[in-house]
Amino acid sequence: MKFISPVKSKPPLWRRCFRTPGELRRMGVAGINARNGDFVLPLNPRALYRLVDDKLETKRLAEVEGIAFPKTYAVVGSSHETSKLEKMLEGVTSFVIKPTRGSGGKGVLVIDGREGRSYVKPSGALVSGDEIRHHVSNILAGLFSLGGQRDKALVEYRVRPTGGLTALSHQGAPDIRTVLLHGYPVMAMLRAATRESDGRANLHQGALGIGIDLETGVTTRAIYHGKPVERHPDSGVDLIGVQIPAWDEVLDISVTCHEMTGLGYLGVDVMIDETLGPLMIEVNARPGLAIQLANGVGLLKRLGPIVRQYETDPGATPAEKIAFSKAEFGRR
Amino acid sequence: MSSKWKLITAVMMLCLIGGGVAVYKVSSLGVPFWPGEQVYDWQVEARVTFFATGRRVKARLALPRANVTDRRGRESGSLGYHYNIETERGGQTAVWAAENRDGKQSLYYWVRFPGAGTSAADRVAAESAEPSSVGLGGAVGDAFVVIVDELRRVTTDPDALFVAVFQRINQESGSQEFTLVKRYYEEEFGDDAMLRMGIDMLESSGVRARKAYGVSLDEELGAQDPIPLIEYCDGAYWRVRDPRDPGAILDGAKLFVWHRGGGPLLDVTGGENSRVVFTVARERIPLHELTDLQGSPFLISTILGLPLSERAVFRYLVLIPLGAFVVVLMRNIIGVATLGTFMPVLLALALLEMPVAQGLVMFSILTAVGLWFRFMLSRLNLLVVPRVAACVVIVTLLMMMMTVVSYHLGLQDGVRITLFPMIILAWTIERMSIIWEEEGNWSALTQVGGSLVVAVLAYWFMGIPVVRYWSFYFPELLLVLLAGILMIGRYTGYRLSELIRFRNFTES
Repeated sequence: MKFISPVKSKPPLWRRCFRTPGELRRMGVAGINARNGDFVLPLNPRALYRLVDDKLETKRLAEVEGIAFPKTYAVVGSSHETSKLEKMLEGVTSFVIKPTRGSGGKGVLVIDGREGRSYVKPSGALVSGDEIRHHVSNILAGLFSLGGQRDKALVEYRVRPTGGLTALSHQGAPDIRTVLLHGYPVMAMLRAATRESDGRANLHQGALGIGIDLETGVTTRAIYHGKPVERHPDSGVDLIGVQIPAWDEVLDISVTCHEMTGLGYLGVDVMIDETLGPLMIEVNARPGLAIQLANGVGLLKRLGPIVRQYETDPGATPAEKIAFSKAEFGRR
Repeated sequence: MSSKWKLITAVMMLCLIGGGVAVYKVSSLGVPFWPGEQVYDWQVEARVTFFATGRRVKARLALPRANVTDRRGRESGSLGYHYNIETERGGQTAVWAAENRDGKQSLYYWVRFPGAGTSAADRVAAESAEPSSVGLGGAVGDAFVVIVDELRRVTTDPDALFVAVFQRINQESGSQEFTLVKRYYEEEFGDDAMLRMGIDMLESSGVRARKAYGVSLDEELGAQDPIPLIEYCDGAYWRVRDPRDPGAILDGAKLFVWHRGGGPLLDVTGGENSRVVFTVARERIPLHELTDLQGSPFLISTILGLPLSERAVFRYLVLIPLGAFVVVLMRNIIGVATLGTFMPVLLALALLEMPVAQGLVMFSILTAVGLWFRFMLSRLNLLVVPRVAACVVIVTLLMMMMTVVSYHLGLQDGVRITLFPMIILAWTIERMSIIWEEEGNWSALTQVGGSLVVAVLAYWFMGIPVVRYWSFYFPELLLVLLAGILMIGRYTGYRLSELIRFRNFTES
């Protein structure tokens, strides 16, 4: 950058604490207001939200489109059903319980196996059947849902990440978030848990954000607490240059999610299963901004060209859209 | 029309309507724009007391001149008395009359007049009449003549004479003649001596003078005796001055001249120990009483036309949008994370009811203990709604305990906390505990901290007197506020917090 002298002196304190709006604009960083005001609000009609806010609805759509997703074991809609939950789960050793209307990973309980009458979390902690029922009743009461409305609990297949990706994440399957505008892939990142984030993939809780090259599906850059890192803070595994398996399939699923929901601006979360391949986890109508940190690219730098492309060729097919994004944003 | 232009038109319209109505009210209806211009009234109450002796009673109280009181009116309170006002040559007298009265009697008379000062101290045209000479005999008479001659040698100007006479009277020591005359008057008239002496000297010097009575416009005084004043004729007009401060021209905003034109202030027949005391009170004029406003078709008259109790609710109601505005500002421009969008507004409203520091301490203690209790409850695996309800009970009990404790510690303000939004508090605790578990304690604490900061700012904003005044008397300005909120709603620039969040952003 211009104002940092070639001699490697430390920049002044205020410069390390702040970025001026001008700098951010030059780098094309999108703020929350810009994301909401310029993309989410105009492109995502309120009526479409229910398609993605309710995971059951999203799964129903995905089924029609032929997108693979984790198998649903059970849906608990009333406290009466809660008592039958354990019976329903007989024979299932690992599963995930989540609120159908949750967001940001809130209220997700992952069970990796059983030990006698208890259940085992990925961390090795034991959970009793009582605690599971209590968790489900919390979900039903709307504790984790948007706006606190009553909710249902979804019990589904626990994804087993492929070998290559398991190493990147500490006790938790990493997921791939792709942001799309008008169906064009904008940016993608891999979110991997650390010991600090306790199996969760939330960046502000200390999870890793790993930028992915849209063209090849190879990781390019990783951030930990907002700062670039090259190795996993727990295991020391190299985070850069890792190939995401079945990358083209991931992109296909993401673009199809745009087609099926009609949302103009969305984020699609995909996990890659050892045996089943890429599975669609959820669709988000308000994808976060950390993805630009992970990739080291301002979102606006990519959103602009896509808007122009969309205006010149509104009828592009999914394949054309993917080709455009790969050519335009690929690292080469 | 693009949404941008729609927004601009809407903002313009709102500003025009809101600002226009406000301007109309200021310029045409005379509603003061700044609270400093707040119009207030003085209310002076005269209380006449005496012991009736069982016969016919008649009390006469001299009243302020009619032109003083015409604007705001006056009234009298006197149970069982016949009451009328007697007018004589511009001077007015209230007359109460009753038969067969016994025991202590109280009669009241109220006067209201604008607080900006009255014309009471103004000059009044004097009818031509010669000053009477004072007939004092003997050594006192000689001494008196010497003094008057001495004064007249220095000046014959009435104003200067007045000042000279009373300066000499107020002096401790004087010439032999002066001391002699002073002693004579003190023996003759007692308390009234100085005034009578001054009046006599002025009259003898050719300046007509007489007694007048004033009331000090000082609320702190409580019940006060009438202040004796002197009215003297400067040749063409009657002027009133305070003999204790002869050089000063009366300030109509500090002293109200109740009675002028000579004559007794109070005259009671059929009663003993008669006395009149005055009490003054400054009263804000409710703007709805400004006659122009009542006829106005605008918003203001509809609000001010409500009964008082409803208007009191409005006082708080109009503050809520202001709090909401602060929240919008803090969230969308600054980027402060808060627990629940409008929880800070409710907290700020609660803070308005008590000292801020105390409110914050109260909030912190309630939240901390509530949170601890919430974690205890979570071991019982309760369902959500009963759990929050349990929290409400605990928070309420805690609050009662704190009230009792603070009362016993002598902190009276602890009692005034009933408005604290307990349900909101309980939900805050619930949400906080979830964030605590899901996102970590740091996240929970920053969000609570953010909420507190926003609440204090909102409290501060809602507490600014000008802002409160405008929001109540110019509710149409809320439309301008609305325009501001609409504009912030389309602000797509960076939030202040994002400048920090992206501080490590580097392009790869």
